[in-house]
Amino acid sequence: MWWRSASFILDGQQHQNDGVAPNPESALLSSPSMADSALNPKSNVSAYYQTRAAHHAVITSDWLAQAQAATDDGDSLGSEAQIGGKGEGSGKAFSVIDEFNNWRKQPDLAEAVAAIRALAAAIRKSEATTMMELEIELKKASDSLKSWDATSISLTAGCDLFMRYVTRTSALEYEDFNSAKSRLIERAEKFGEISCKARRIIAMLSQDFIFDGCTILVHGFSRVVLEVMKTAAENKKLFRVLCTKGRPDRTGLRFSNELAKLDVPVKLLIDSAVAYTMDEVDMVFFGADGVVESGGIINMMGTFQIALVAHSMNKPVYVAAESYKFARHYLLNQKDMAPALRPIDFGVPIPSKVEVETSGRDYTPPQYLTLLFTDLGVPTPSVISDELIQLYL
Amino acid sequence: MPDTQALVNDFLNKLKKRKIEGSQATAKQTAELLRSVISQTRVPYTNQAAALIQSVKAVGERLIAANPVELAVGNVVRRVLHIIREEDLSLTAAAMAGVNLSAVSDDEDDADGDNQPVLSAAAIAAASRSTLRPPSLQTLLEDVPDFAAVPHTSSSGGDSEGKSKSADKSSRSRKLKHDVIEAVNELIQDISTCHEQIAEQAVEHIHQNEVILTLGSSRTVLEFLCAAKEKKRSFRVFVAEGAPRYQGHLLAKELVMRGLPTTLITDSAVFAMISRVNMVIVGAHAVMANGGVIAPVGLNMVALAAQKHAVPFVVLAGIHKLCPLYPHHPEVLLNELRSPSELLDFGEFSDCLDFGSGIGAPLLHVVNPTFDYVPPKLVSLFITDTGGHNPSYMYRLIADYYSADDLVLQRRATSGN
Repeated sequence: MWWRSASFILDGQQHQNDGVAPNPESALLSSPSMADSALNPKSNVSAYYQTRAAHHAVITSDWLAQAQAATDDGDSLGSEAQIGGKGEGSGKAFSVIDEFNNWRKQPDLAEAVAAIRALAAAIRKSEATTMMELEIELKKASDSLKSWDATSISLTAGCDLFMRYVTRTSALEYEDFNSAKSRLIERAEKFGEISCKARRIIAMLSQDFIFDGCTILVHGFSRVVLEVMKTAAENKKLFRVLCTKGRPDRTGLRFSNELAKLDVPVKLLIDSAVAYTMDEVDMVFFGADGVVESGGIINMMGTFQIALVAHSMNKPVYVAAESYKFARHYLLNQKDMAPALRPIDFGVPIPSKVEVETSGRDYTPPQYLTLLFTDLGVPTPSVISDELIQLYL
Repeated sequence: MPDTQALVNDFLNKLKKRKIEGSQATAKQTAELLRSVISQTRVPYTNQAAALIQSVKAVGERLIAANPVELAVGNVVRRVLHIIREEDLSLTAAAMAGVNLSAVSDDEDDADGDNQPVLSAAAIAAASRSTLRPPSLQTLLEDVPDFAAVPHTSSSGGDSEGKSKSADKSSRSRKLKHDVIEAVNELIQDISTCHEQIAEQAVEHIHQNEVILTLGSSRTVLEFLCAAKEKKRSFRVFVAEGAPRYQGHLLAKELVMRGLPTTLITDSAVFAMISRVNMVIVGAHAVMANGGVIAPVGLNMVALAAQKHAVPFVVLAGIHKLCPLYPHHPEVLLNELRSPSELLDFGEFSDCLDFGSGIGAPLLHVVNPTFDYVPPKLVSLFITDTGGHNPSYMYRLIADYYSADDLVLQRRATSGN
């Protein structure tokens, strides 16, 4: 008989050790993360969720502390908390991280596309004279981007896609290096345009699934799902949306704000009320932070829960995700991902002996998902691995 | 072209009046009609694929509008469109590949007198790889140009290409139509022989002393079972009668005439008898893109019973039944309501159904849907003429047989869906 070992005791000791040691990530980490680890006893807080929170201009006490601690590099935008830091350690005049941070600030741009644009800028500014050299530079740039935030799946996926792309186009015989370079830049730009286009394609594909009089349950603030709703509202479909509150960063509130602007009837629920209202729901819509090889998705904490409830009540679960979010991870359980921690503000001080589960995301296995809306079509989750194999092998 | 117009109108009439029974017959006739449309279409010298596609689309939309529930019509139209695109691409690739290549990339080509456009190696590679693949991560990255632009994106010089184009095109003009018609003939051939191809696989699935359950009557199922019988397998068949048309009775009779021990049961008895059954084999009206099945009414119940007792639920479907659309609201949109007279005798119930009696609206409504939707998770296996497949594999088959550009055919034609 196997008993579950009381491993949480061992885990607890390990966490204490980790928090004291300096952040093992490379020196290219921007300074707020380092400042953050001084505030949080736990290991690195996910920069990905910080970005999303920044887009929503959510100011928490942690944020204010970081904003004070971070060095301003002069392009602060209004009241938004500044999280851009300088990339250190690379002696180059041009820093990919800088470029990336510049792109990342735009609230409408997905992180992977910001990375692609930054890498495209890296190509443009590179002084390499041969294809090999260019590739090596790009690889360094992409690695530094990936290590800047090791927890973001779409960032890693986007960088990988781009690198894959570069190694494949160099197989074509371009006699002239400059024309090859310009072609690469041109295609990188095109890839960058794909983001907005991808969202529109997904919105178009999903229109048929939203019928008049339907009730949609939404979780988390996904720009793709917002686009879907916008297009449906424009097409004069009558539907109403139930929106979970999305603790702790109140994404639900922002989402319901946006929907109210579109004149779509919205109802806010607390996260625990999902099962209670699942009866009147016709379908569930999620975005995704990343789509893994098994066909499951990684999304904001709470997604798995809602998918479970929907599945047990036979409601279809639809996921809207662009294709550059496909990542080559194969997750077996929740703990398989790199942890992405997110500070949770309970509003009241917590006694120090009480631990808080601060993981920012969970993994939803493919059997709870019905269909995925991507810009490549509307496949069932089992097709994702097929796509990835086609690309990477 | 008045000839084809008459043919088209005639076919439209037949579709509207539901005179053609069965998806195989419908598919075959649609393909033959489209073949005559193609052979009659006058194609210009340039961009002929577009002209063909235009004419096929025009006819196709009207055909689909005539009978939106018969999905085989739409499937065949889309298949033909896909064939046209494929043939055009392969012709273009062949033309380019057979041409002299020089190493100049994007510069002006030397306008020498011979009919050979100068193309960069890169463009050739791109064009030859740009066979009609479904959109995937690869195509996203490679920036595959639109098929119509493939001949034009190659070299930057316009003139010499124009000259060579016309010379090329005249030899290609007859070729494209010819190739397309050949491919459509193959399609018709496939549709006609789908029963035999499916029946060939019967021996692998039906074993000695098994009990098979089926509902209603399907020609594919009949041939399937008889093929197994011929290979000296002895097994027993339960046939559910398939109210209200009771076609199960006909199937039972056929099976007995071929020497198979058969048991006839009512639809309501399916749940009672399912525990004695080894396998359920049924036909389908259409298979949707997510792997769901539009099947004769009553099969959803059989599928649920099969799942409850862990009995494999096998669906036989020819490739012409594979539809690239998604069942958004299957119970409502893709169903056809037949006449209530199949259920009730008008004579006895005329006072309940009478609009004239006092109230103005009858209290008794009779609903007689033709089809049922079986969700993909209840189906164990699809047997098509290309072999046995998982429901989640349908996506791949659709990508092979249809182009993404043709999916919106229906939208302009019909208001619903």
